[in-house]
Amino acid sequence: MERRDLLRAGGAFAVASMAGCSSLAETQAGGVPSVLEDRPDGVYRPTHVEGMETVDTATSGEYAVGLLYSYPHRFWNVNGDDVSLTEIDRDDAVHLMASVWDRESKTVLPETGLSAELYRDGSLVSQETIYPMLSQPMGFHYGANFGLDGDGTYDVRLSVGAMQIRRTGAFEGRFGDPATVDIPFEYSENAKAEIDFRQLEDAGTPGAVDPMSMGSLPTAVAPAESALPGTVLGSGTSNDARLVVTVLDDPPSGIDESGTYLAVSARSRYNRMVIPAMGLSATLDRDGETIADTVLERTLNPELGYHYGTVVESVASGDDLTLSVTVQPQTARHEGYETAFGGLLGGMPDLTLGL
Amino acid sequence: MFDGDLPRRTVMKAAVAIGSAGALSACLNRADGADAPTGDPDAKPSRQHAWREHVRHDDHGNTQLPAHQILIYFDIDGAGPPADDDRAGLVETLDGLDRAYEWSNDGLLHSVAYSPSYFDRFDVDPAGVSLPEPSALSPFESPTFDRQDAVLHLASDRPEVVLAADRALRGERETANGVTVPSLTDVATIDSRRTGFVGAGLPAENQDAAGVPDSRPVPEASPLFMGFTAGFRGNQATESYVTLDSGPFAGGTTKVIANIRQRLDDWYDEQSYDERVTELFSPGHAENDLVEGVGETLGADSGIDRFVDDVVADAKEYGRVGHAQKAARANRDPEGNVRLLRRHFESTDDIGSEKAVASLHFPSLQRTIAEFETVRRSMNGTDATAATPAVRQRVNNGILEYIFARRRGYFLVPPRRHRALPTPDPE
Ligand code: HEM
Repeated sequence: MERRDLLRAGGAFAVASMAGCSSLAETQAGGVPSVLEDRPDGVYRPTHVEGMETVDTATSGEYAVGLLYSYPHRFWNVNGDDVSLTEIDRDDAVHLMASVWDRESKTVLPETGLSAELYRDGSLVSQETIYPMLSQPMGFHYGANFGLDGDGTYDVRLSVGAMQIRRTGAFEGRFGDPATVDIPFEYSENAKAEIDFRQLEDAGTPGAVDPMSMGSLPTAVAPAESALPGTVLGSGTSNDARLVVTVLDDPPSGIDESGTYLAVSARSRYNRMVIPAMGLSATLDRDGETIADTVLERTLNPELGYHYGTVVESVASGDDLTLSVTVQPQTARHEGYETAFGGLLGGMPDLTLGL
Repeated sequence: MFDGDLPRRTVMKAAVAIGSAGALSACLNRADGADAPTGDPDAKPSRQHAWREHVRHDDHGNTQLPAHQILIYFDIDGAGPPADDDRAGLVETLDGLDRAYEWSNDGLLHSVAYSPSYFDRFDVDPAGVSLPEPSALSPFESPTFDRQDAVLHLASDRPEVVLAADRALRGERETANGVTVPSLTDVATIDSRRTGFVGAGLPAENQDAAGVPDSRPVPEASPLFMGFTAGFRGNQATESYVTLDSGPFAGGTTKVIANIRQRLDDWYDEQSYDERVTELFSPGHAENDLVEGVGETLGADSGIDRFVDDVVADAKEYGRVGHAQKAARANRDPEGNVRLLRRHFESTDDIGSEKAVASLHFPSLQRTIAEFETVRRSMNGTDATAATPAVRQRVNNGILEYIFARRRGYFLVPPRRHRALPTPDPE
């Protein structure tokens, strides 16, 4: 059912019409179902899925940027351990999303920082620093709800910040400059109302919706385990974040140390979305003795993708590796991810792997 | 435009803030600034930036900057070094201002400063002072650079004074305060005119500007839109400290002027008071309840020095770091003296559009531009972002989430004796 129909069906008919399409008879004023009372502590199928429209893409310097929009969303903001719901505001007209990727390799670039300015006829409508977010259909992106001044053409200026996390391999020395792109956005309520809006019968069950096809836009999916370079020594999950451990004989270029490179690629259970912006540390025990106790550094590498890495003297079979999440992923969460990876209920248990 | 019953001061204040020709003429029909104390060019200080002894102070000795200010950016007509006639013309204009008003907050304070582009006209760098081209100073900003030849800064507690001076300078009237002031337009073309205000009451009065949420959150007592006081005496360089002490420009100083858009929805609506204290001052300020109201309990010093070494530790412990804390750590010389003299004021200018949007004009004086650049870079908190993902490039990282640099220009403020179109190495 399209959201427009839901809205039309509003008022007295809302409860009745909803009852047909979901066991969750409760709806909110705007036709968005309420947050589930009983959510699993992990990735779950959300109450509804909204489609999104690609406005356009643009390039500047090394970056390509895509601008997308959908209905305003509720989401959960994460600051340290604090997770708080941002409700849809009465004045919100759209949820604007931006994705930033490397023009050459098409790798999605988390942690660039992003801000958006909206103009109408040269006059400022809004400007915000945009929060990084994780959603099931899109994975990592930047997003925020915006109020608009009705139908018309808006000039959207997106400013990409320089990357501050470590870049290695062919990414060494890249993405070190900010860039700005301008994308015109033709907005109409009617066109927005055509965007798909679907409620899920199995909302609240463990699982995730499939990544949405975004045309020419790359998605922030982590490499398959089999595609990771080095030797994959094991994996496990912590509150539905799957941590895959691989070791390389030598650290990639850009790391001025020698030894074995230990990399952890974090991805969501079910749909393998990259989980960035965590604090992660590792202890390596051999024969009952700790031989390494170290912070894994947030790093971007073309082959490993976004990962957490460090150099250790050696890794031998029989070692025990304990991974501890010291800071849960610092990205806002869309519905279905807000209790996973720490989230509302907290808790990302340590993961110990026998190597 | 104005209701006949509006009190005069209200009209004046609105007119500086709005800055439109319409507002201005409405204003000048009511008053021409003709009752301000007049001045004597021979009784002016030798430094153009000598303001502190000539303005109000609060009970703690903190400077209260003049409430109404205007920045006039201009280009000298023609290419190459300015002609002697033009120099003589500017001397007359500035002397006119000096005769028209006493050098005080009750009269008019002003200063003229020159950009690297101005000195390019001579193909020679100014002697004894480094005046680089402006540059981006954070990993995310791309401001437009102000490269006009010069900027004239006007400041007074009386709105009608800055308005009359401004109007005379722009050639819209011949006198200010009853004294002839030849127009700046005789020798130059005005490129940009920016206005602003500072001091308790004015931000609250102007908070219907875009960028401030509709909840009208700016306290009446606050001198700034963000709800706190800045510019404590102990956190400011002295005028002597920022003064060049050798070379032909001895007695002058360098000046950076930025314009920063403020977007305060999340600042006020998403954050608690303690979180605002944390982000503007430091987590330690919030933890120890050092700040009350708009900061009146701080006295003559923000007390930031005890927290400047805690940036990385605070990032890890609180997931947030403070603006003052990050900036202050680079703002002390080895003897502990403060390097920068900040003289920022608020505005509703949105350069390039007519819309009223909350912004800040940020003039800063320092002995060298490099000192400003170091302090501004220190505000980026890149060490805090490396220490924890909770502190991001702009989020939880002082006030970077809410401020957007749109313009930046670097200037040399010559000593008064060389204030009119100086050569790079004046006698
Ligand atoms: C809207 C923008 C800004 C506001 C509202 C603001 C406000 C404040 C406040 C309230 C303080 C603490 C009190 C004080 O020491 O004055 C402070 C400190 C400071 N600010 Fe800002 N500020 C802004 C932008 C900037 C910018 C762009 C810079 C650029 C360098 C800067 C430099 C500093 C410095 C250096 C200090 C610390 C002073 C010390 O060394 O103790 N501020 N600011």
